[in-house]
Order: sequence, then structure tokens, then C-alpha cells
Amino acid sequence: MRKIKSPRLLSLLVALFLLVQNVFAQSVVTGTVSDQNGKGLPGVTVAVKGTSTATQTDNDGKFSIIAAGNAVLVFSSVGYATTEVPVQNRTSIATTLGTQESSLNEVVVIGYGTSRRRDLTGAVSSVNEKNFNKGVLTSPDQLIQGKVAGVQITNNSGQPGGATTIKIRGNSTVTGSGQPLFVVDGVPLSGTSPRPGVGDIGFGGGNPASNPLNFINPADIVSIDILKDASATAIYGSRAAYGVVLITTKKGQSGQAKIDFNASYGVSSIMKKIEVLNAQQFRQALTYYNVSASNDKGGDVDALDAILRKGRVQNYNVAVSGGTETGRYRLSLGYLDQQGIVRKSGIKKYTADLNANFKFLPSKKLGLDVNIIPSQYIEDIAPISNDAGAGNSLIGMALQWNPTLPLKVGDSIVNVGGNSIFNPLGVSEAINDQSKVTTVLASIAPSYKFTNWLEYKFLYSISYGSGIRRTMRDQNINLNNTNGFTGVGFANVASAEVVTRQVTHTLSIDKRLSSDLNLNGVLGYEYLKFSNKGSSESANGPSGGFGKYGLDYTNYIQYGDKSTYNISSYIDPLVELQSVFARAAFNYKDKYLLTGTIRRDGSTKFGKNHQYGNFPSFAAAWNIYKEDFFKVDAINLLKLRLGWGKTGNQEFPAGSAVARIGFGNNGNLSGQINYDNPDLKWQSDRQYNAGIDVSLLNSALNITVDYFNKKTTDLLFPVTADPNGPISSAIRWRNLDGYVENKGIEASINAAIVNKKDFGWDFGVNGSFIHNVVNGLSAPIYTGGLHGQGVSGTLVQTIQNGLPINAFWTRHFLGFDKTTGLATYQDEGNTFYYVGNPNPKTLLGISTSLRYMKFNLSINMNGAFGQVVYNNTLNNVINVGSINGGRNIALSVFKDPVKESFANPVTSSSRFIEKGDYLKMSNATLSYTIGNLGNAVRGASVFVTGQNLFVITKFSGFDPEVNVDKSNNFVPSVGIEYQPYPTARTITFGVNFSF
Amino acid sequence: MLRKILIMLMFISVISLGCTKLDSKFEGQLTANQVQSGGNANTAALLSGLYNSMQTPFQDQTRTYCLWEMTTDELIGPTRGPDWDDNGVWRVLHAQKYDGENLRIVEEFKDLSGLDFGATDILRYSPTAQQAAEARMVRAFVDVLLLDGWGQVTYRDPGESVIQPSRVRSNADALNFIITELEAIIPQLPDGPASAANKNAARALLMKCYLNKGVWQSNESRLNPTFAAADMNKVIALADQIINSGTYTFTANYFDNFAPNNTTIGKENIFTAENKGGVQAGNIRSRWHSTMHYNQNPGGWNGFATLSDFYNKFETGDKRKGVNYPTPSSPPNPGNRITVGFLVGQQHDLTTDANLKDRTGAPLIFTPEVKSVEVGTNLEVTGIRAYKYPIDFVNDGGGNVDNDYVYLRLADVLLMKAEAILRGGTGTTAGVYGSTALALVNYIRTLPSRGATALASVNLDQLLDERGRELYLESWRRQDLIRFGKYLAPFQEKNYQSDNKYILFPIPNRFLAVNPNLKQNPGY
Repeated sequence: MRKIKSPRLLSLLVALFLLVQNVFAQSVVTGTVSDQNGKGLPGVTVAVKGTSTATQTDNDGKFSIIAAGNAVLVFSSVGYATTEVPVQNRTSIATTLGTQESSLNEVVVIGYGTSRRRDLTGAVSSVNEKNFNKGVLTSPDQLIQGKVAGVQITNNSGQPGGATTIKIRGNSTVTGSGQPLFVVDGVPLSGTSPRPGVGDIGFGGGNPASNPLNFINPADIVSIDILKDASATAIYGSRAAYGVVLITTKKGQSGQAKIDFNASYGVSSIMKKIEVLNAQQFRQALTYYNVSASNDKGGDVDALDAILRKGRVQNYNVAVSGGTETGRYRLSLGYLDQQGIVRKSGIKKYTADLNANFKFLPSKKLGLDVNIIPSQYIEDIAPISNDAGAGNSLIGMALQWNPTLPLKVGDSIVNVGGNSIFNPLGVSEAINDQSKVTTVLASIAPSYKFTNWLEYKFLYSISYGSGIRRTMRDQNINLNNTNGFTGVGFANVASAEVVTRQVTHTLSIDKRLSSDLNLNGVLGYEYLKFSNKGSSESANGPSGGFGKYGLDYTNYIQYGDKSTYNISSYIDPLVELQSVFARAAFNYKDKYLLTGTIRRDGSTKFGKNHQYGNFPSFAAAWNIYKEDFFKVDAINLLKLRLGWGKTGNQEFPAGSAVARIGFGNNGNLSGQINYDNPDLKWQSDRQYNAGIDVSLLNSALNITVDYFNKKTTDLLFPVTADPNGPISSAIRWRNLDGYVENKGIEASINAAIVNKKDFGWDFGVNGSFIHNVVNGLSAPIYTGGLHGQGVSGTLVQTIQNGLPINAFWTRHFLGFDKTTGLATYQDEGNTFYYVGNPNPKTLLGISTSLRYMKFNLSINMNGAFGQVVYNNTLNNVINVGSINGGRNIALSVFKDPVKESFANPVTSSSRFIEKGDYLKMSNATLSYTIGNLGNAVRGASVFVTGQNLFVITKFSGFDPEVNVDKSNNFVPSVGIEYQPYPTARTITFGVNFSF
Repeated sequence: MLRKILIMLMFISVISLGCTKLDSKFEGQLTANQVQSGGNANTAALLSGLYNSMQTPFQDQTRTYCLWEMTTDELIGPTRGPDWDDNGVWRVLHAQKYDGENLRIVEEFKDLSGLDFGATDILRYSPTAQQAAEARMVRAFVDVLLLDGWGQVTYRDPGESVIQPSRVRSNADALNFIITELEAIIPQLPDGPASAANKNAARALLMKCYLNKGVWQSNESRLNPTFAAADMNKVIALADQIINSGTYTFTANYFDNFAPNNTTIGKENIFTAENKGGVQAGNIRSRWHSTMHYNQNPGGWNGFATLSDFYNKFETGDKRKGVNYPTPSSPPNPGNRITVGFLVGQQHDLTTDANLKDRTGAPLIFTPEVKSVEVGTNLEVTGIRAYKYPIDFVNDGGGNVDNDYVYLRLADVLLMKAEAILRGGTGTTAGVYGSTALALVNYIRTLPSRGATALASVNLDQLLDERGRELYLESWRRQDLIRFGKYLAPFQEKNYQSDNKYILFPIPNRFLAVNPNLKQNPGY
């Protein structure tokens, strides 16, 4: 550093300093911060604006700080609106902090910027930390499950770390995942999980997918904002059709360094079982069905119990944060160890989040934000498959297991089985399947404020994910049915690497154009590059097997049978997306708000004839309560919103637009592998939205109602191609004629019913009523491929004109013929009918919280109504034919007054369609605030949380909230249950405190 | 200063990153230009890939095999309680009640048309004369099946974009194209080996074309074919060219032609798909897996069966019914049980000779009776099981078995010659096989490898039966039954005369929807 040599300059600085000191004398300011109920708020950061001076309130909300008489104090606390209070030469200040939700000044994150809630013109829902779901959460989407009107979040299965299906404003997904775009602190995610797949290990390949958001620790998130209508999402252009979810991580607050710590421990067990015969019933059934008594093996076992367990869950999070006015930081570490309720399944997660926000130069015009989120999660995956045959997936094996046949004698597993009957315990022992995913999401964003209304920001991010998966099958398992290898074992090692790079330039404007007119806008350029590659190696054991040394075969795979070596590697075509975008929001007198956005996206995925697309939106809002004529004291907010916008979806395999020639074995070329289409473009969504926001009784009652109408056209679809074309492909991606329309109403009501010092009661309910219809398609689309015995190639769902999307379409079951025991169908089963809608007509979320003294009880329930579920498990795993082969069947089949004949062909029909309505007690938390303990520990609290305490439903499977992936030809399925990972009920105890 | 630097940096970054040209980049596949630049080495690689592409359509049980066999008196795919319903896709084949949605028909039509495209596409990369001839031979081979099955053959010119609908040649037009092609390429084709398109393979295929010429003229001619002596004489002349090439001899064991090492010992084989054990193969192992019971070794899928009426066409002592055929690593088979051919009655553990049981614990006795929908407690064991590829125990587990798939072989050529003579052609002498239909048939029947007795006389019905006995499950039965006017007639487990429309497969509805040049076959 250069020494200041000039005495003159030094003395000038000293003089200046003294001058500043002298004008307003520093003095001690004391005071109290309380909440709206007059209760003292502990842990509130009190800072002197423009300085590094800061402190925090004590247990009673009291503070003491040195500040100049003209200074401004800034009060901030998570969950409360930040408030500024000028000192005005006072020595004592009392202030009240409003909670953020009730605050109209609440800052809402919108695309490439923020907005005050009262300035919003689009349909944006925000959930912040205080309202998040509690308990054991492995991924951030679970934080808001059931919390937001119009958003349906379905756990596809009960597997820890498993994927969820998120539908914002109904289902319009003809192909692709239909998942919204996730953006973490300005970084859009690719949505691809780096967990490698594994081929058929004799027990099916397709395990339930891993959640691509697993890498984020839910404890590091401060708020989640959901952009629902197109006027809000259009700024994200060709990837926004299914909505946008903006995740904001916690940042350091200026003030003293503090440590937040929380720990929890819980136990999970199965929520609801599928009823099959017990040993006694099985014996009765053998007689009843006239099956050989030799199938009574004398024992009494519950095979499902044998593969289930009490899952232990531990979760620890620690965060250090603090900072000054010019530099704030937060470092957090998280550890989650969640055992699944199925043996040898679970997830271990190590996460960290390091972020820092700096301001440089005396003017503080130069800013720098740095955010690094490294993580590693290790999943133990049970051999539960979406598409294996009945006897080849762990749950199916357990359901089918002859309950009179012992699984174990002493400690040794017996009756290991072979062909199509396996001991589920033996299989569970024999399969080791572990995936380790390591990710880093890093971003650096320098910014420069040219003037107080113009700021430039540059964001560079890299999201790197790498997965390694090691899978083995012990040689004790003899799979001679499927591959002829009599007990030699199998090993597979696979890896994947997913990288996304991003460069974003934005120029933000916030200028008062006249005294009444304000312009808030952003102008930007963005470039994204996605890559995905991987490899795998596998081998069967040599003659005699890999050995019984108890070692993992993946440790010495090269000593397997060379003739079974299988090595492969791949790289997906690189995808580049280049965009320019702009938004202008005009605010006239806070009464009239007008927003327009436009984004122009170019993508390498699109055909050369349509490489760029434009995505505009407009929205307007009218704050009626600001009008002079509006004089209703009880109403403190009344706002009307109208919006229109166009967004897109580009979820189709990269490279579909261009002819590609593939490699074949032994130096061959396999010829052209795809039907190219230079006309391929994005799928287009246009959406209208009309909404009203009302706040009554000093924000004690808040109501938001939105009507939306979303029409999806240019549907991306792999159509059947002309037969004369590449032999390895039967499809050509193109944009279909026809549309999917979702329209509906969503409403949320939040009320603070009682709000006294020692007692409070809040109640919130949100509901959505959605109507979905498909029209204009030239040919029906089929999906929903069943699996299990006797249903190869059976598709039970259709997307066709006049029906809801994914309508069930199969035989209409009329009941059994009482004399023959054969099923009867309308038109003898030769004609298929529309037999059910898997899309809920109504979604409901209920949350309530009760506060008494230091106790707080919050309860969340969610439900879906009007939908049906196809029970593929009953159809093809535990059907009557099973007992003829000495396997178990569903209790409902045995109890049916009609004795079903073994000759009744196994086939799909409306017989297996069940009502899927449910109401689930998804989350209940009782907490007790201890407060401060001595001088060191602050804000201590303890809690107990129950998740999935019960579900009210008529569905006979594990959980009506289910979506086993039964997609066909890229077309996803909805609401089919097939021997899934059961849902867990979890009770968790925990403690939170800060230093 | 810093502000200037910042603005400069911003400017540079916008310029350098802001003007990306969006070009598709493939790092795991090639573009047509990259293939073209590789010259004839790449054309050879494409040709080799084309032969591999034939594996699934011909070797998997779900394609040519089930469409040309299960629609006849040789094969049935019964629904066995909870197994093998598969939405009725198998049942309708044997019942001859298929429609334009049948997945087997859809997949086969697509695959064969795809092979036509793949073969044509090679021609745009400047192949050598022999490479071009081989590709055209493959195309002619699949075109014959398309013509036989559907009467319509899609085609494109080399290099034509796949966006436009392909054009269609029907019946006589398609046949004329195939004949012209085959006659044009024979000079450029090599003499061998059997595992590649060769002169004699093209001649044998040309024999099929002339023999069926009266069938394939029109949709109507398939119901009442007539046969011209000139065509029959072409068949005979081509047979003689093949015989006189001296390339083929009858094997000591009938099943040698299908054995794991048939690349070497399958001396009757004219055209094959070479499967390399443990390295790379089609799904020819499905021939035994699709029919064997779960509890046999190797464990099967307990599906397809043959019919007792067909089985009873064989006389006692005919070795084509099955033999114990040891292969490397096969179990010792102390009871000398039949291991290839027809499996009837009690089945045995090939290591201990103990009687096998089915999954319910009942004896595993394959019964002659079989029904389209099995309803009894014995539904696992009904039906005679048949496969003619001896099991490659060495490679069965790995999936890549060594047995080459046989497209065309010498016995077929001799039987076609015999048939041509019966249909008005003039008998000729070639090789040691005689000049009359009876001599040709009896030559085959009395070979030590067949072990059947000589017939006293032979007429067309007897010749059809002999074709069945000699060529069973080789995917020619449907074509033969049509040519002999027997396809629609009742047979076991189809006790009715089928509607005339079933003489052709329907064009799958989904392809009609995307290609206006395809026309639905009459009646569908």
C-alpha cells in the first residue's frame, strides 16, 4: 500500500473527520423493537445506515447503539419487513416490525430483478422461510408443497431424495418433464440430474428418478417465489411454459457475526400398507381356489415387513453469518442422513453454501456478489423399478411372496429362489446400488451503479454436476430366467457429467420520469451452454462367480467374464441458448401499473428455419384503494391485475433438427439415426390472467383470486415418421397442430383470526379448480404403458380431442360373470372407452398455526380431488393368477364375493381404476420457544414435527399421491401406481439456537 | 479510471460472447458430410451396419418370425393365464384377425421399410460396385418380404430428404423392380461368403420372385395365383446355376446348419446373418427362450408352441423332429433326451435326467393339445415346443450366441425346383439331385441327416407338407401357404376359413396417417 506522504492531505482528512464528528455528536441510542402484538423481538439487526456500526436486540427486543443525531437506524430480521427509522436526535426509539407477508413493501423476486409486492402486475406467489414446511426435507421443492394456489407438487414415490412432479396451473405436458424452470439466485438450472442410470440388472432398470434439486440444502433458502402467469414468466422465454420457480438463498446481514445451529433427529415408518393375504388367509385361499396344498410351506411371514424398517433421520445445519455495510457473508454447512423405510435405501447429503456480497469504492458503486454452493449426496438405491416385471422389483416380490414360505431360518436367508420368484430379503441383500453425486454451483456477479437509477450487472455462473454409480448383484441370486447366468454375479459402474455455463449482462433502470411516473426496467443479454456426457462399464461374473468374499464386485469388475463386458460412453449434442430480453414497468401515482416484457431466444436445438423466437408479455394493474374516491377503511388493499403473455417450451432431444449418422459395433456405421426436421421450433404457450388482491382489517385478512386461461399450441411431439427412414428411429420430432387448454381459478385466503400477546391463530387456505381439455389433434396420442405379467405393450392413457390430457382409455369393466368367474367388458372388451381423468379437478392446501405463550402449533394439510389412479399393482402383481403359481394376491381379490377364475385373462380395464381423492396431514409441528440461555445462546427453540401423519383416501395402494413413470415414447404418464417405493410417516425432534 | 476499465470489460465481454453463432455441434455422432469425406472405408462401415440392422427384424421373435410363422399351422402364441396376453397381440396372429394397430405388424413394416431406406442411403456415399450391389441385394431381400406381406413397398431415391413422404410401388410394379435389380446386380456380387450378399443368394431370392410371380401380380392374384411355365423354367435355371456352383453340400446332421458353429459346418447355407459368439449377435436365442419352460435349462419364457396336426406330419424316425445335439458346455444329458427340434411329453433335467416340474409342482409334460387361450390348471405345460437352433450354452447368458441366422439354404432351392417342375416347368439334371420333383424330394428325405423314407409319388399337397417338414420355423410358411392356396383355410386352433382380406397384412394405420402414398389394403 502506498504511504500517504503528504502531511497536507493527512491534515485535511483529519480536519474533515473532525468536522463530521462535530456537526452531529454521536450519542447512545437505546430502544425496543417489538412485533405487531407488542412482543419484544429478539435477534433483530440494528444498524446505523451508511456505517459498519450494528448490533442486535436482546431477548426482550432491547438494543443499545451509538449513532449520530442525524443518522438513520435500519432494523432488519428474517421474516420481517426491513424498517428505517431516523434518529432525529432522540436517545430512545421504540419501533415495531411488521411481518413480511402483510407488508405491501415486501420485496418479491421476479425475473432479473425484484419488485415490491404492491407494484406487481403478474401472478406471483411467494413463500418465505417462516411459512416453509418443516421436518425432514431433502429438496427445496418440498418446502412449498401444498402452500401455493395453483401449484401441485406430487412426490413420485416415497424414496428419499426421489423426484417430484410439479405442475403449475394444470397439466399441459404432452412430452418432456413438464417441470417448471428453477432459478437459484439468478442462475437457471438445466433440470438434469447427474445421477447415472443403470441398465437392467435383472431387476429392472428404471429406478425412480432422483430429484435434480437435491444439491440445495432447504435450510439455506430464505424464500421461494413462483411465477405463475405468462406476464411474469415471459422474461424467461422459451423455457418458461411450465412456470418459473425462483429460489433465493440466505445472505449475511450486516451486524455482529452470528452462528445459527439446528439439529433434528427423526424416525420414519410406512404410512399405509397394501393389503395382501396373511399366512392364514393364504391357506384358506389355497383351498378356496383349489390350488395344490403343497404351496402351504408351513410358515407365517410378512415379506413386506421384512424389507421395511424404521428409518433413522438426522439433520444438522450450522451457519455463520455477519458483515458490515460494505461486506456481508454467510457460510453454512449441512448434513442430512435419511434412511429410507426400505432396507438399504436412503440418502446422505453434505451441503455448503458460501456467499458474500461486497461493495467497493468510496461511493460503494462497485458491487460484487459471490455465491458457491458445493454439495455431495449419496443415495442407496433399492431395487425398485418403474418398469420391471412383477417378480423383478423389490416391492412386487414382497407383495407376491408366499406368506407361508419362510424368508429366513435363524440369520440365514433361505428360499432365495430363481426364475420369476425371488426372496425379497435375499434380493435386497444381494443388490448394492449406490450413487454419489457431487455438484458445484458457483456464480460471480460484479455490478456497477452508474447513477442512482442505472446499474449494470454481469453474472457468470457454472453449474457442474458429476455422478458415479456403482451397482452389483451378488452371485447368490440366480437369474437364469432372464440371462442364463446361473449365479455368477454382476457389476456395473456408471458415471455422468452435467455442466451448464451462463453469462448474463443486465442493465437495470429505476428512474422517476416525473413526480408521478416511475420507470423500472431491465435490459439484458444471456448466453447459456448445456452439456451432458457419461460412460458405463459392466460385466457378469466369471464361471464360478465373482466370489463370496463379501466384497463389492464393482471393486474388481475386470475379473468378470470377458464375453459379457459392456462398455459405453455418450455425449449429448451441445445445447446453446442465446437471448436478449427487456422489461419496462411503469408506475403512475402508485395507482396505475403497466408492465411489458420481451425476450428473444435463439437455440441450437431449433431447426434452422426457426432458430429464433420472440416471447412478449403485457400486464396492467390498478390499485383501486389508492384512488381518492375509494374510502373504505376496512380495506387497506384492493388491486386488480390483468396480464397476457407468450412463453415456450423446448424440451425435446437436442439434435432432433439435424440428420445425424451414428456409430455401430466393430467399426460399423449404423446409418442415419434420426428423422431430421429443419422446421422444428419451441412449443408455444399463451396465457391470460386476471387477478384481484384484497387486504382487509389492517392486513389481518388477505385474499388473492386469479383466473387463468392457458393455451398450449405447436405441441412438441415425436410423431410416427414415414416408415421409409432410419431404422433405429420410428419418430420424428415436430410441432403438432392442436392444443391443450387449462383454465381455472385459484384462490388463497390468509387470515390472522386472533392476534393477542399470548395467543394467536392464523389460518390459510388455498385452492385451485382446473379444467383441462385437448383439441385439434389430428390423431390420438397414447401413453401410460403398464408393466407386469401379460400386459406388454398395453397403454392405458390417451391425449385426444375433447378429453382431458392423459385421460384413461381402456376397456370398460362391467363386473364378473358369477358362474364362470370371468370378467365381462362393454363390447366384450373390443372397444376402448374414456374411463377416468387422472388430473385433479380441485387442489386444496390448508395451513393453520396456533400460538399460545411460547408454544406454537402449525399444521399443513393438502389434498387433491376429482382424479383417479390406475392400480397397475393390483392389475399385474397381486392378481388372482399369482396364487395359481404359489404367490400371494391382494386381499380385495380374495374377499370379492365372486370367485375370479384363473382363466380370466390379465388385461387392462376400468376395474383397476380407483378414486384418487385424498386429504393428507402432510405436516404438523409443535414448537416451544425457550428464548435466550445466558448470554451466549439466543433464540433457542425445540420442536417436534410429524410428516404424513395420515391420509384420508379410498385408494388401496400405498399412497394416492403417486406418479410412477410410465411414460411411453417421450409422452409422460399421470397417476399410475405400480409397486412403488412406499410413502413414509416421519416424526422428527429438533432444536434451533443461535450464538 | 476503474469505471473506464469496467466499461471496456463490459464492452469486450458483450462483443466476444454476445455474438455467438448458433451452430449445432455433435461430438458423439457424425454429419453426412463427415461420412462422405471418409470415402469407401465409410461406405463399407455403413454396409456392415446395414447387415447388423437386419438382426432384429429377422432374428427377434417379435418380427418376421411371428408374422410368417404364427399366422400359420406351425406356431401359436397361447395366452397362459397371467402370461402372454400382451393385449392379445399374439392371439390375433394365429386367429388371422389382425388389424392396422397390431404392434407386431407395425414394427415389422417399419423395420423392413427402414432397411430399404438404409440400403438406399448407402448409395449416396459413392460406394464401390460391389458395395452398391450388396446394399441393393439387401434392399431386394426386404422388399420381397414387404411385397409378400403387404403388397406395397415404400422407396426413396438416394439422398432424398426424409421429411417428404416416401413413394410406393405396389404388387407387379414392385416385383418388376426387384427382379430388374437382382438381375442387374448378380454380376457385381461376390461368390461368397454366405454371411454377405452373394451371387447365389441373389439367385435363390430371384427364384422366390419367379415362383411367386403369379401370386404377387395384384391383390386378387394372391387369392387365385396362376403360374407361367416360362417363370417356372427361370426358377429351374436359377436352381441349376446354384447347384452347379458346387458351393453347397448336405450336412451330416440336419441341425448342423443351425448349430452354434454353423458358420463352418452349415454347408447347406446360402445366405446367413453371421452371429459372433460372445461378441455380437442378433436375438436368435429367442427361438429357444420364447418356447422353453421357465424350469428348463436354460430357463425360457414359456410362450410359443407348435401344433400337434403339424407335428403329426412327420413320420417316425424323421430326424428333423429332433435329436440330442450336444454343443460346447451343454449339460451331459445322461438320458439322451431331445435337445433340439420338437419337445413333447415329460421334460428332464439335462444334468440328472430327473423329471422336471412346472411352477405349480405338476410334472412338466408338454401336451399335444394347446389352445389359443389356456384356462386350465395345466396352462403352463400345454403345447409341443419347437426350435431348430441348437442351444449355444457358452454364450446364452451373455446374449450374443454364435448360431448364424439362416435366410436361405440349399434344401429350399431343391424344393423350389421340384415345385417349379410340378407347376409346369421342365425338369433338368443338375448335380446329383435328379431331374424330377419326386427325385429331388426323395433325395432330401432319404439323406442320412433326415432319415425319412422315400415317397412313392409327390403332388403339390405333398410338396407343401415336405416344405413344412424341411423348412419349419424358417419364416417361409406364410408365403408357402399363400402360394399353395392354403393360407386362409382352417387349421388347428383356427377352425374357420378366414376372410379374404387377411391374405395381406393391413398397412398400419399410423403410417397411412403420415404417408398419403400408402393405401390401405382391401377390406381393412
